[in-house]
Amino acid sequence: MDLRAGDSWGMLACLCTVLWHLPAVPALNRTGDPGPGPSIQKTYDLTRYLEHQLRSLAGTYLNYLGPPFNEPDFNPPRLGADTLPRATVNLEVWQSLNDKLRLTQNYEAYSHLLCYLRALNRQAATAELRRSLAHFCTSLQGLLGSIAGVMAALGYPLPQPLPGTELTWAPGPAHSDFLQKMDDFWLLKELQTWLWRSAKDFNRLKKKMQPPAAAVTLHLEAHGF
Amino acid sequence: MAAPVPWACCAVLAAAAAVVYTQKHSPQETPHVQFERLGSDVTLPCGIANWDAAVTWRVNGTDLAPDLLNGSQLVLHGLELGHSGLYACFHRDSWHLHHQVLLHVGLPPREPVLNCRSNTYPKGFYCSWHLPTPTYIPNTFNVTVLHGSKIMVCEKDPALKNRCHIRYMHLFSTIKYKVSISVSNALGHNATAITFDEFTIVKPDPPENVVARPVPSNPRRLEVTWQTPSTWPDPESFPLKFFLRYRPLILDQWQHVELSDGTAHTITDAYAGKEYIIQVAAKDNDIGTWSDWSVAAHATPWTEEPRHLTTEAQAPETTTSTTSSLAPPPTTKICDSEELGSGGGPAVPFWITVPVTLALAAAVATASSLLIWSVDLGGGGGAHEGTPIQPHPSQSSACLPRAQHPMWTRHSTCRGAGGRS
Repeated sequence: MDLRAGDSWGMLACLCTVLWHLPAVPALNRTGDPGPGPSIQKTYDLTRYLEHQLRSLAGTYLNYLGPPFNEPDFNPPRLGADTLPRATVNLEVWQSLNDKLRLTQNYEAYSHLLCYLRALNRQAATAELRRSLAHFCTSLQGLLGSIAGVMAALGYPLPQPLPGTELTWAPGPAHSDFLQKMDDFWLLKELQTWLWRSAKDFNRLKKKMQPPAAAVTLHLEAHGF
Repeated sequence: MAAPVPWACCAVLAAAAAVVYTQKHSPQETPHVQFERLGSDVTLPCGIANWDAAVTWRVNGTDLAPDLLNGSQLVLHGLELGHSGLYACFHRDSWHLHHQVLLHVGLPPREPVLNCRSNTYPKGFYCSWHLPTPTYIPNTFNVTVLHGSKIMVCEKDPALKNRCHIRYMHLFSTIKYKVSISVSNALGHNATAITFDEFTIVKPDPPENVVARPVPSNPRRLEVTWQTPSTWPDPESFPLKFFLRYRPLILDQWQHVELSDGTAHTITDAYAGKEYIIQVAAKDNDIGTWSDWSVAAHATPWTEEPRHLTTEAQAPETTTSTTSSLAPPPTTKICDSEELGSGGGPAVPFWITVPVTLALAAAVATASSLLIWSVDLGGGGGAHEGTPIQPHPSQSSACLPRAQHPMWTRHSTCRGAGGRS
């Protein structure tokens, strides 16, 4: 991983790899397993809950950052220096993702985002912000566990961090205050976009995995969606 | 020797004719087009004629009064839309046409109104525009779409001339879209731009084919069905949720139901016999805004066919309420107004009617000379449906206050006969 001078994301890379193993895979009771359907539904519901929670959290945090970050038509260029996981994807590629890849991308994204959020929490100035962020992190942790559960139910392995990414954490020169705030802005924006994307990802998974017993109308995905 | 002379003569004549022709039919035959602003003043010169030339002006073939002239120039003050037309000036004596002007009176464009919407998410979105006030002259519009720094193509709509379509290349983008439009005409220029996130402009078309039907044997039910809008490309991965509103025509207050899936719903609290108006709206489950309301469906719940009057019937005087059926009509034969709550109360429990029937039988047997009551307690009738009591025409029902009949329990009521719904 490229450690750029002044790149706060790079500094956190090591921290994130350490925290990678934190989301615990819930032990699934396999007997009488209704299939992954209910847990996909639960995961979908969690993304909606988190999206709702994020709206108020982001509002508070952006106000704390102050103008121009809290202005509704603030439209900065994305410099691309950040290592945030990007939700944006080519339309056709997204439609043709297989289930495993779809779930893996979600899992990896939220693992990273959770890590960055925790770092944000540590730097937050007010106790109220820290409380809100901590609460959100806990919920996000729950979402990760839920995704892990779905993957386990479907027999997909959880993604592991690549070997060789363990780096010693050396503090670099401090980010400028403004650039740091830009990083925070993009983190929240990317998080919100990922939650919108996940809702759609899990909708797609839900439809593909209608439990056969309950389905009076069996959906055959004949057209390439 | 004689032959070349006539030829030369013809040539000279032809040349002379050509000169005369060009003099008479000057290039001013094709009118000069001129745009002027509404309310302004304009002076139209008569081509290249001298200021003191003697000319007559006509507009659309009608002579203009000489007091509008300033020498050979036509002066128009305070231009109005009616001043638009073909102005021509002629040499006064020879009626030789000097000059023509096609005058258009209009306005420069005001700031255009631009809005974009995605009713085909995730395929793409469209933008449409219009001017808040007319200019009365032709305008040209130019639309540019930027996604970050990338320029996107906006394809003109084949049918509508102020709409264009953009296809999404990428979904779930954190970068906003910026759509700019500039409008210009002969008198001026204006522009505007809007910026938005991919998710905020999602708004489906209204649901289609909304149909409401009565449910047989159910005077309080209406079955409503509809279809997802045909423009929504992928309802499987991008499911819609629906919002249904309904009210009887006679009331202003809507009832609302939000439905997270399915394209059918049964209304179970309709007022019997009242015509209803029903509409449905749609929204993506997670993002964007609600569609407009669908075309309204009308339906009236099922009502029982009235039975024929029989000769022994003494239909009691009962006022049938023609106003709202919410309040119990004042002069009915109801003893217990509890039954006529606003939405209809619960049906009389069966176990209450049994002892009452027994009591009634005993009363009748012991006091047969007294004809107090003649009520059929078998049916529930329409009493608890919130409608005015329609007495069964074949039965006479005289209702005495409860106090005179201590054997009546609190829950017994006078009711017209009729099938329990």
